[in-house]
Amino acid sequence: MSWDTHIADATVEIFSTMLMMEVNPLAPLTERIKTHQKSVTGIVGMAGLYKGMLAIHAPATAAMAITGNFLGLEVDDVNDDVKDAMGELANMLAGSIKAKLSDNSKDIQLSIPSAVCGGSYSLDYQPQQGCSMVPFESTAGRFLVELQLEQQT
Amino acid sequence: MGKKVLIIDDSSTMRKIVTRSLRQAGLDFDTILEAGDGQEALQLLAKEGVDIILSDINMPNMDGIEFLRQKSANAAIKGIPVVMITTEAGADILAEAKSLGAKGSIKKPFTPEQVSETLGGLM
Repeated sequence: MSWDTHIADATVEIFSTMLMMEVNPLAPLTERIKTHQKSVTGIVGMAGLYKGMLAIHAPATAAMAITGNFLGLEVDDVNDDVKDAMGELANMLAGSIKAKLSDNSKDIQLSIPSAVCGGSYSLDYQPQQGCSMVPFESTAGRFLVELQLEQQT
Repeated sequence: MGKKVLIIDDSSTMRKIVTRSLRQAGLDFDTILEAGDGQEALQLLAKEGVDIILSDINMPNMDGIEFLRQKSANAAIKGIPVVMITTEAGADILAEAKSLGAKGSIKKPFTPEQVSETLGGLM
């Protein structure tokens, strides 16, 4: 199953409702980007009927601009606010995907959001059944939303 | 005496967004208190009275459901209305929250209008 449309719809809704930002989905990537340069990644893990993770990756400049919109202030450093905001975005996106997977909250558990940032880092994750990576463009710059999902038997 | 609200969420960003939404919704509380999880909230409520509580569900240390459970067992605070603000919108978890005394829920992402609509009847 492709999750590209769900990712696009959920991301557009979250950005327009909570950040008053228009974002536009681009063509989903056919090859997964593992290494991120000068970026911030917000991640939420999923376990239960489905296991996997939802991540939002943004270059540091875009992550700062997104956080600035989120909080209504100017952000000029990748500080705790930026990491928290990126984690919370991943949390809302994962919640939206979870709702599509099951109406029973206890079927799938979401982890507490976390964030990674740095000059260059890689996120290793074995390719799963439902792997999607959708780029978005916005006034803050481009960013990526990634979903790795595997249904448990 | 002015009204007090307690916002419980492990995300500082979300606590700021909820605060902004309350103001945008015209719900001007005189005091806005914050807690990062259910445990911190219970400690705060032992010292401070509030008129309403807005709580996340998925939090470290003590989640929103356990917070409701402990609050409902404490006669001094059980009457304070709680509204859940959460990404966890499954019917089962919201029913559990309701059975433990939650008066309503707001799904993230939300607009100030949704906050106003849900809290309006409880103020």
